[in-house]
Amino acid sequence: MEEGLTIKNLKERVNKIENILSSVAAGDMEARINSEVEDDFTGVEEAIDLLINDLTDELQQREKTQKELEERLATIQEQQKTILQQQEDLLELSSPVIKVWDNVVVLPVIGTLDSRRTQIMMENLLQKIVDTSCTIAILDITGVPTIDTQVANHLIKTVTAARLLGAECIVSGISPAIAQTIVHLGIDLSSIQTRATLQESMRYAFQQNNQSVVESGTQEHSPHGETK
Amino acid sequence: MNDVLAERRIPIIKIGDFLIVSIQVDMHDRMAIELQAQILKELSKTGAKGVLIDISVLEMVDSFIGRMLSGMASMAAIMDASVVIVGMQPAVAITLVELGLKMPNVATALNMGKGIEMLEKKLIQRNMEGA
Repeated sequence: MEEGLTIKNLKERVNKIENILSSVAAGDMEARINSEVEDDFTGVEEAIDLLINDLTDELQQREKTQKELEERLATIQEQQKTILQQQEDLLELSSPVIKVWDNVVVLPVIGTLDSRRTQIMMENLLQKIVDTSCTIAILDITGVPTIDTQVANHLIKTVTAARLLGAECIVSGISPAIAQTIVHLGIDLSSIQTRATLQESMRYAFQQNNQSVVESGTQEHSPHGETK
Repeated sequence: MNDVLAERRIPIIKIGDFLIVSIQVDMHDRMAIELQAQILKELSKTGAKGVLIDISVLEMVDSFIGRMLSGMASMAAIMDASVVIVGMQPAVAITLVELGLKMPNVATALNMGKGIEMLEKKLIQRNMEGA
């Protein structure tokens, strides 16, 4: 024994500490030294026990937090999926192309236009033109509150592409706000046929088809209310 | 190589006053140039008043072919004939527009029937003006 220190069974106790520490390292958080001997070395043993206690608490805390985070992540992922699904549904729903008369299709646009939506709209419209062999397409934007340069550009592209297919595209329902924006942005729409209302563009379409709508009873008329 | 190209020449058929050219294979640049020359030669030989170019099976039209078609229309116009491009696919139209090729001087039609109708109308109009 060295002077001033009284330690009993030093070798045995150091061995025990070693064993306990290795089992803690291996994951056994229940292992403690619990020394029953009171001497100068007891303080060290108690300190080690305290450290192991703190470590256990810390680990449990961490596990709890991790579980919570995982749960939250799962919820967010679920929500994300729903949003994506709904976005896709919306894109599908938002651009119906309707054949309203012989040779005439109408694409009513409602809501704000972004580039992606305009792109899908354009593809739908062109495909429908080819499928139905209609030579007149009316793009009605009455339900669109505002447009920006990019969207206006897309509209021009749509009209040009429709022309390349062999169809004529008429844009109708341009609101005062949109007309202002278009002119302020310096976009040239002079190459595009524009009409004030859907009604006006239908009238133009009939004209192009050599048809006219006649009120019944006033003149000779066909059962469909049109004369060829 | 030349023989292969000659074999795969695109037929030009004359029906009535019009030439009908149906492109059934993906064209490469040289073939496009040859086709252009061929159509113009045929135009002067037969005195046709219109050319219908059917590209309904072409899935890919690059800027070169686009320019060729657009040039074709201008050249034919000088030679007193009109060109109608028939049956362009939506994807092709989108590509051409994205490439900035708007082809403002080219007439287009959705299908062969509508193309012929269009040319006939033009011909009648022309005859009336002449009369």
